[in-house]
Amino acid sequence: MRRAGLAILLLVAGIARAAPVFDLARLMELLAASPSGEVPYVEKKFSALLSEPVVSSGTLSYRRPDVVEKNMQAPRQESLRIAGGEITVTRNGTQKRMALSGEPLLAAFAASLRGVLSGNAALLDEYYRLALGGTEGDWKLEMTPIDEQIARYVEKIVVSGSGGRVRSIEVREAGGDRSVLTVG
Amino acid sequence: MAFQRAGTRYFAVLLLLAALGAVAWRAVRIEADFSAFLPPSTTPEQRLLVTQLREGLVARLMLVALHGGDEKALARASRALAARLDRDPAFDYAANGAIGQFAAQREVLMRYRYDLSPAMSPERFSASALRAALEDDLAQMASPAGVLVRDTLPRDPTGEFLATLRLLEPASAPARRQGVWFSADGTRAFLIAQTRAAGFDSEGQAAAMARVRAVLAEVAPQVQATLSGPGVFAAESRRLIRADAQRLGALSTFAIVLLLVFVYRSPLAVALVLVPTAFGLLVGVLVVQAAFGTVHAITLGFAATLVGESVDYPSYVLLNTLPGETARRAARRVGRTLLLAVLTTVASALALTLSSFTGLAQLGVLTMVGVVVAGLASHRLIPWLLGERVLDFPRLRVPVSAALANAWWPRIASLVAIAAAGAGLVATHPGWWETDLANISPVPVAMRAQDASLRREMDAPELNVFLASRGATEAAALAAAEAMLPALERWQGEGVFRSFDSPARYLPSPATQAARLHALPDAATLAANLREALKGLAFRPDAFEPFLREAAAARDAPLLTRAAYAGTPLGTKLDAQVLSLDGQWLVLTSLGGVTDVDRVRAALAALPGANTQLIDLKRISADMLDGFRREALRQASLGALLIFVLLVVGLRSLRRAARVSAPTGAALLLTVGLLVAAGQRIGVFHLVALLLVLGVGLNYALFYERPPADEAERERTRLALALCSTSTLITFSCLSLSATPVLHAIGATVAIGAVLSLVLAVLWARPR
Repeated sequence: MRRAGLAILLLVAGIARAAPVFDLARLMELLAASPSGEVPYVEKKFSALLSEPVVSSGTLSYRRPDVVEKNMQAPRQESLRIAGGEITVTRNGTQKRMALSGEPLLAAFAASLRGVLSGNAALLDEYYRLALGGTEGDWKLEMTPIDEQIARYVEKIVVSGSGGRVRSIEVREAGGDRSVLTVG
Repeated sequence: MAFQRAGTRYFAVLLLLAALGAVAWRAVRIEADFSAFLPPSTTPEQRLLVTQLREGLVARLMLVALHGGDEKALARASRALAARLDRDPAFDYAANGAIGQFAAQREVLMRYRYDLSPAMSPERFSASALRAALEDDLAQMASPAGVLVRDTLPRDPTGEFLATLRLLEPASAPARRQGVWFSADGTRAFLIAQTRAAGFDSEGQAAAMARVRAVLAEVAPQVQATLSGPGVFAAESRRLIRADAQRLGALSTFAIVLLLVFVYRSPLAVALVLVPTAFGLLVGVLVVQAAFGTVHAITLGFAATLVGESVDYPSYVLLNTLPGETARRAARRVGRTLLLAVLTTVASALALTLSSFTGLAQLGVLTMVGVVVAGLASHRLIPWLLGERVLDFPRLRVPVSAALANAWWPRIASLVAIAAAGAGLVATHPGWWETDLANISPVPVAMRAQDASLRREMDAPELNVFLASRGATEAAALAAAEAMLPALERWQGEGVFRSFDSPARYLPSPATQAARLHALPDAATLAANLREALKGLAFRPDAFEPFLREAAAARDAPLLTRAAYAGTPLGTKLDAQVLSLDGQWLVLTSLGGVTDVDRVRAALAALPGANTQLIDLKRISADMLDGFRREALRQASLGALLIFVLLVVGLRSLRRAARVSAPTGAALLLTVGLLVAAGQRIGVFHLVALLLVLGVGLNYALFYERPPADEAERERTRLALALCSTSTLITFSCLSLSATPVLHAIGATVAIGAVLSLVLAVLWARPR
């Protein structure tokens, strides 16, 4: 009897392991497990000021634990690198460094990239209210800024993907403009 | 006679005291503006200094450090506090370093960007320059910081607003965390609040401080605040002085009453001793009120010096009574000496009365009236009160070793000490005079150290050096300040100073504004240039309509004036730094972190035709104190001369006058010598204290020198002197316990001086 009970228990546990519920914790696990690397991207900027979306492309790379680099190759060379407590923008051969701690907006932006790429829920929770939808194979994570200082500029950031892979990052600005970055 | 019964007389005196007390309570207006104790200002620079010290921006700046929470909690508290204080009527504004603060001011800068931007030039609005600007805008839009400029982009594609903002960024500011000012280690969030109350309005400052704490308790109860700044100093030092004066006053009163009880062992005698002092104080305060319209709080605090002397008078009378003798007869006997004691004090207080410091003049009047009334009360009122009644108290014996008093070596030793003190003082003169106005402030050292460390952490340099640009009109003065800008930038680059803040940057002269607006092409040309520039770019053709509209409007709009900034932080700054003084206009440019004033002076002198002058507040304050010192010394010499004449006339002998004044003069010299040897610098408060030493010291010498009829009278004089000097010592030793520099200086000086006066009087003034 006792042995049978134990067997059932193990079986149940095994099923639970085999088909885990898809929740935020699970998504973070998947994201945390995906390796560092570099992927190509295409970004489209939509704005009321623009007659047509501006398209740019390049590579997006992530190196654990916290270095994110976005190298734009077209229509021009431009790079943005987040490392440690700094964000560095290189444009027209000139470098501009800004401390993340000084500007909440940049800090929130850096946290959204780092948090998603490293699967760090705590970091995301600090800046955003999180809402997860979809399935493990096709999920969508909506991040709404908590701080009204940030909400004044950014309405929400929507990240979608499949398993541990990020497919697109959309930033919706408070004024109605938005940018959509698609990976791959 | 209605006053034949003693009870009636006591009752009448009590009634009179109560009536005087009631009148004083109702009539006396106490004022707390500390600048009454600042030296008078005569030159325009000095008036400027006093204005800056009283009402200037720096004087009204309150530094707030928030601590006791994690970074996020502190940042939240900082934002909430800044938002609430900014609307508070007690404050002009409150800044915490957050971007987006002061929307009204940003709107002014935005509206007048073409008047303000130093980048304005006709080429800037050509098709090719516009094209470059638009391409840059496009790149900017795609960057993460793009959302910040998105709102202003349609109005300002050429970035004049940002160029203006960059210009106004302080050269040094605290680090930012969570978007607000923080200490480098992230444990303290910083705010700067500009109070409406003047820096010396200690009551207004105390109210502003209470407001900060109350609001903080509402928005973030768990967070604590440390407040600092000149206004906070004014409020805190007033509180500390009041608390110390009350605490130490109570302590010394208790000790003195205890001493009187021990000596007289008669409640009536103790009460009688206190009557002349009470009358002296009350009448003195009322006369000051009548003469000056107000009584300064610190004058009242110094009233302790008056008590210290006048409480001695009744004892000189009472302790001189023989067993079985009435006070009236004793009063007649010591009357002449008492009169001289009072008159010499009046003479020394006369020096104060002539002072051009309002506070010191008040103190002089209070002392003069007080000692005269107390002297009269001791000489006439007490004998009248007692009538034929004989006060019975044990005559305590004060043992003085005749051998010691007659020995030769203490006299030699005292002469050597005095010679050494004199030589030392002459050798180090004038190094021991206080030259820094800040050091005569009543602020405890610990508070000033805290302020200094806070300023260091906030990277807020002390502002002591200003450039004053002059002109017959506001526009001319602004133009003069503006002409300095290139040189200022160069000197900053060369490290002559770290930062400068010129009003001409945010209020350019009308000529400069007109020239900048002139650089804007007419509407049709600008529209054509923009069309040309937009060709082939992804922007919508009508995306920059607001730009075209506002640029066209700016060409015809009235120029930027000070009035446009009303109600904004820059408006507050302009009101304090663009001022009309003596019929001309002055624009003050503050220099921060000046390492070498002489280098600035030299650089300024080398600049041809600059209508700008260097104003070094430290130098001016040193000059002012120097002037005060000369005035004080002149008056003190006059006072001393007057005293000596009084003594010669009163004692009818030059030799006796010399015998009385020599010990006191020597005691003063020795006291200053001891203070200087202990590292003190002699300031105005020490001088006040020395005047009191002069008063009590002369009394000791006068009474001691009085030729006694017999050994019993000498015994009585010795007792009176012992009691008087002990009570003085008690009062002022208590005062010297105070942490407030003013009270400590007075207490220590008088305590040392009184002891020295007594010892020297015993050694030198012994009647032959």
